[in-house]
Amino acid sequence: MWENRCKVAISGVGYSKATRSADIPLAAHALEAVRGAVADSGLRMEDIDGLATYPELPATGHAEVDGISVVSVNCMMAMLKLPALTWHIQVGTTNIGGALQQATNALLAGVCKYAVVWRAMHNPSGTYQNLPGNMAAGAAQFTGPFGFGGPGQGMAVAYTRWLEKNVQTRDKMATLAVTQRKHTQHNPHAYFYGTELTREDYFASRMVAYPFCLFDCDIPVQGAVAVVLTLADRARDLKPAPAYLAGYGQRLHFETAGRIGSLSSYMEGGSSSAKLTWERSGFTPKDVDVAQIYDGFSASVIYGLESYGFCKEGEALDFIQDGRIELDGELPLNTFGGSLGTGRIHGLWHIIEGALQASGRAGSRQVKDVNVSFVGASAPIVTGTTFIFVKEPY
Amino acid sequence: MSDWSKVTRPIPVPNEWTRPFWAAAKRESLELQRCQSCGHFQHPPFATCTQCISIDLKFEPVRGVGTIYAYTIMYHTGDKRFASAVPYASIVVELDDAPGALMAGNLLGVEYTEAKVGRRVEVVFEKLNDDITLPQWRLAND
Repeated sequence: MWENRCKVAISGVGYSKATRSADIPLAAHALEAVRGAVADSGLRMEDIDGLATYPELPATGHAEVDGISVVSVNCMMAMLKLPALTWHIQVGTTNIGGALQQATNALLAGVCKYAVVWRAMHNPSGTYQNLPGNMAAGAAQFTGPFGFGGPGQGMAVAYTRWLEKNVQTRDKMATLAVTQRKHTQHNPHAYFYGTELTREDYFASRMVAYPFCLFDCDIPVQGAVAVVLTLADRARDLKPAPAYLAGYGQRLHFETAGRIGSLSSYMEGGSSSAKLTWERSGFTPKDVDVAQIYDGFSASVIYGLESYGFCKEGEALDFIQDGRIELDGELPLNTFGGSLGTGRIHGLWHIIEGALQASGRAGSRQVKDVNVSFVGASAPIVTGTTFIFVKEPY
Repeated sequence: MSDWSKVTRPIPVPNEWTRPFWAAAKRESLELQRCQSCGHFQHPPFATCTQCISIDLKFEPVRGVGTIYAYTIMYHTGDKRFASAVPYASIVVELDDAPGALMAGNLLGVEYTEAKVGRRVEVVFEKLNDDITLPQWRLAND
């Protein structure tokens, strides 16, 4: 087991109001989320001395303007002018989960005391994947000429592979979309709060990239979320109950650029990250009371459930049936609604929910008797990270 | 059947690693990068053998027959260059001669509904301009 288990905790969390269009600059969303997280902890902004983020915009063909389409560490530093700042970082090989892990390492190293981690996501006007030009250079020369554009198609090919290899049907995925939308109705910060989804809606929706219909894809939004991370001893003196970090992992496998559709890559990415997390925390999938698994495209949940070890390969769509992922089910899943409910904010929302469930702060969606709270943030193949938060340090 | 006649395919830009692939395709031949140490074929081309880390790699001909490893049917019209062809099948092919080397392409000449995992396909060459010819796929007779 990891000697540093439960020595770092998530304290406060914060959100901006996610909107469909970019009415106010992204920097304002990030600021609102960071201020919210600091206030939730009962800290003052002057106490914050560490900053970490993953600022990438996953949309292509749009100008990258700091403060408008991304919010970098530099942008946040310029806004906040933190008098006590001692440490900051942006990560690249992992999504926002990697920023949280680096902040954890910085806290353990003693180079900062209260770190803020945020994820801000822009929704550009016009087509999200605005694939430009007449040429396909780099890795795209083997995919672009055939109409493989955005990441959705890359995910979709692995999904057809999974479905047909395992003689499964996409109809079963309706349970995930509908259950998560039900959970969303307990999350006032979610984009789809107040909008219900039926099985009929799912089956009637337009196809985007088969096997993905509209409700298999998270909706692009403009928004941000943030957390305050600190050492456990300090977290106990703050306002909210701490969510102790029992272990983490990151994906240790990567494809050569431009290779597309390999299902085994998702599995190897996910299992390598989860293995580290189970070993460091000492828990197994059977110990988990509640799970958040990244769902930017619904099939990510399949790869997550299987590669993390919650069910066998080929069984994920059967696993999610019969009420198992409901709030009172055997493995309550994406209890905040997932990205399919909140809109496209990437994995920090999953991490926030994992922490809220562990600290007993999830309100009307709180799962009963949670101690072990699992998070798979980001799609396993690409930038995947995994975490376990617990209520009781051990 | 998908109407490809109005599609503007982006044209591949060969680089140091990929130039031999496109030169072969122009001659209507399929050549993939092969490790001269362990014999492993790979695609897309990479700096090292993804099996044994050797840097001794050469392009060698492979037979243009294989199976559909995976596919997607595109309905979204966000990519205007391809909007006129929807719905269309983008497929991933695993060649008989190069297991694990996955090649993207389109399934041509049949309804997009014919795309299924495991279906046998063979290469056809689609000339884009004087320099670039794309390897594409149709259902095989075998």
